[in-house]
Amino acid sequence: MAIIETVELRKVFRSIVRSPGIAGAVRALFSREYEEKVAVDSVTMTLAEGELVGYLGPNGAGKSTTIKMLTGILVPTSGAIKVAGVVPHRNRQANAANIGVVFGQRSQLYWDLPLRESFELLRSIYDVPRDRYRQNMAHFSEILGLDEFMGTPVRQLSLGERMRGDFAAALLHDPKIVYLDEPTIGLDVEAKEAIREFVGRINRERGTTVILTTHDLADVERLSKRIILIDEGTVIYDGTLARLRTEYGTHRTLVVTLAETYEEFAVEGGEIESREGNIVKLRFNQRRLSAETMIRRLLDRYSVSDIAIIEPEIESIVRRIYREGYNESAVGSPS
Amino acid sequence: MRVAAGVYRQYWRINILTTLEYRENFLMWFAFTIVYHGAAIAALWIVLERFPSLNGWNFRDMAFLYGLWMLAHALHNTLFSAVGDVPEHVREGEFDRILVRPLDSLFQIIATPGQVFPDELMLALAYFGVATWYSGVHIDAMFVIFVPLIVFGGALIELGIGLIVSTLSFWFVRVDALIWIVVQLEQEFTRYPLGIYSRGVRLLLTFVCPFAFMNYFPASYFLHKPDNALGFPPIAGLLTPVIGCAFVILAYVFWRFGLNRYQGVGH
Amino acid sequence: MIGTLPRRRFRIEPYVEFAKRAIMREATYRFDVFTSIASFAIRLYLLKTVWTALYAHNPAPQELSLPAILTYSTVALLMGLVMDIDQTRALHERLREGSIATDFMKPISVPLYFFAEGTGEVLFHAVLMLPSLVIALFLVHVDVPGPAALAAFALSFLIGYLVGFCINFILNCTAFWTLEISAGQMIVTWVSDLLGGELIPLVLFPPALQAVVETLPFAAMFSTPLLIYVGTIGPDEYLRAFASQVFWFVLLAGISTLMWRAGAKRVVVQGG
Repeated sequence: MAIIETVELRKVFRSIVRSPGIAGAVRALFSREYEEKVAVDSVTMTLAEGELVGYLGPNGAGKSTTIKMLTGILVPTSGAIKVAGVVPHRNRQANAANIGVVFGQRSQLYWDLPLRESFELLRSIYDVPRDRYRQNMAHFSEILGLDEFMGTPVRQLSLGERMRGDFAAALLHDPKIVYLDEPTIGLDVEAKEAIREFVGRINRERGTTVILTTHDLADVERLSKRIILIDEGTVIYDGTLARLRTEYGTHRTLVVTLAETYEEFAVEGGEIESREGNIVKLRFNQRRLSAETMIRRLLDRYSVSDIAIIEPEIESIVRRIYREGYNESAVGSPS
Repeated sequence: MRVAAGVYRQYWRINILTTLEYRENFLMWFAFTIVYHGAAIAALWIVLERFPSLNGWNFRDMAFLYGLWMLAHALHNTLFSAVGDVPEHVREGEFDRILVRPLDSLFQIIATPGQVFPDELMLALAYFGVATWYSGVHIDAMFVIFVPLIVFGGALIELGIGLIVSTLSFWFVRVDALIWIVVQLEQEFTRYPLGIYSRGVRLLLTFVCPFAFMNYFPASYFLHKPDNALGFPPIAGLLTPVIGCAFVILAYVFWRFGLNRYQGVGH
Repeated sequence: MIGTLPRRRFRIEPYVEFAKRAIMREATYRFDVFTSIASFAIRLYLLKTVWTALYAHNPAPQELSLPAILTYSTVALLMGLVMDIDQTRALHERLREGSIATDFMKPISVPLYFFAEGTGEVLFHAVLMLPSLVIALFLVHVDVPGPAALAAFALSFLIGYLVGFCINFILNCTAFWTLEISAGQMIVTWVSDLLGGELIPLVLFPPALQAVVETLPFAAMFSTPLLIYVGTIGPDEYLRAFASQVFWFVLLAGISTLMWRAGAKRVVVQGG
């Protein structure tokens, strides 16, 4: 069953063009020129209940504008939108009760007070029944280790601890949907792992639908099967990670350690990515050549002490798509 | 309603905890509050020692005039001071947080915890008691019934103005200049009887930013002063609660309008 | 740390740069400029209205006539545009952020750095006096005294400015020991506005109060230059007036130096 549904969602911002200088400022008093900026051009997507989706795109692609429309903060210019049966901007409060939001850069905890007090306030804002509150707190504390710093003023928490607190705060009222905006930004490896673990468990165990926007593709690789790529306000890819990887990751790389030093080095069908001393990185198109063929050709001519195969990284695939655009016809053709 | 009451209780709990957390800081600000009002009253006293009458008002009258304003102002600061932070929240992008929570936006603003404590209100009550006695205002049933209503109405007037200015921050990123002007009108112009001002300013303080209803009109009523500002009958001084309610409703409608615009345009 | 720095030839350039930077920073807050000017006009209107009403209903005091007191109030407000700036605010801010330690690492005199910053800020705000003066001339009639009194006023204003600078500096220095000083500063500002004669001329205070207030340093900031301007302090009293202002400046500058030394030592020893 679809829990989030948007059809040709569009958002256009109109802003005043300001000419520089005092003359410009004076002119702006009398006549105004407007500039239209299409933040979200056309976003159509459907999310089933319990899905965990990575919503990705370069800066300025329209990610956070989409999230703001889904959360009811912004009213769309055109298009349809429905979240858990509610039109967010028409029924903001009803929608708000269904959702939880974590802005990685902004905390909703009260700076000056022990963490516990923020939870108490949120309990009353979302009207969480007492016993449900206790259960949730116990559960979150167990996964996130909140007990250690429940009594510490938020301003004294480390970023990792604060983020854990923010996650618990966003999920306290059992929202059906959680929006995570850059949830792991600035965190160290351990804290990132704790957060990912938590998001994964909430999604699995409670069936909470999660939309995750992030720059750290490791978050996505670890958590979501499905990703939606957006660029210039339009969805350019919507599907599984695996499909993206096989369709778009046309090249694999062999890392070869040569046993002897060779003046010249070349293998048919392979492109030398880098060569440092005896270590050579050799890129080849896996649709044309199997790894086996490549290795056989290599071993025919050179003496090799070690070989490793590197799968295309999702990060480099996505970066390439941002750069070159997603193009169905490009898939499978040599590049 | 039940939810709102729960949130409001939590709000005060957090306020008091925060105040206790920063005890020294709180005491310093309380000292400042005393000095602020003390200096204003002292200035009135110094001037009226030398010039016994300002437009027919002596120091005793002026002390009562100030007391009425101080009480309404302190009540506003105790209940609604967070409204003044809206422009900053909008500028910093913190305002979005309010929109993703399932409660009325204005209620959430009012119930944003900070370091609020009813210290100024207590000070104002004490001062008002002294000033009432000193000015010789006759305490009768009318006084007992109407003063609380008038004080609350005055606080609503201040809330209304704050709300209107805050709503303007949805359009204009910087509204500091406007806030300053309004603060001056509210805090400094209310110290003197309305009759000394030019007609335009009298009308401004009565109909546009109705601060004259916070203290001048009610004080004229209780002190039996003829209103020489706009020639209203004395009973106008009892209208403050009505004016306050009407003004706040107007401001709330404007706020909702601005909010729709904020959601339509972003910022 | 300060003591162990090698002695260097004094160069004025970095301080000029600091001042320029401060001017540019102030100029970016254009709205604050409008605020200052609008606030000035409103205050002036209020003062004019109140004084006019007071003089209309009461016998005028002998010390000051209505035109004199309107001149007094207008000039006081103009002075306030410059005097009300906390030039060494940066010191307090940097102490609170803990970035003061990095200042000690630079090859500059830190107090001079704050002085240069503050001067830049003040110069910018001094420019504000011009449009404000134009507004003032529309609203009230301002008397201009003869050249001798004008020169004496300018000198007295300058000394008063230095006294104000020292008071601000001392207040900001208390941030070395206690970080939250805003309330304390506001208290002093409020008290000095009243007791310095910015709002009400000290000569109109009740005699007993006047005697007390005239012994405080605040009088040196506003009252002395203003009374010279309107002629209440005549030429034969100039020297005495300057002497008392200079006395306060020397005393407060001494206290400033001691506080700065103690505070800087604290930063160096305890790491801020």
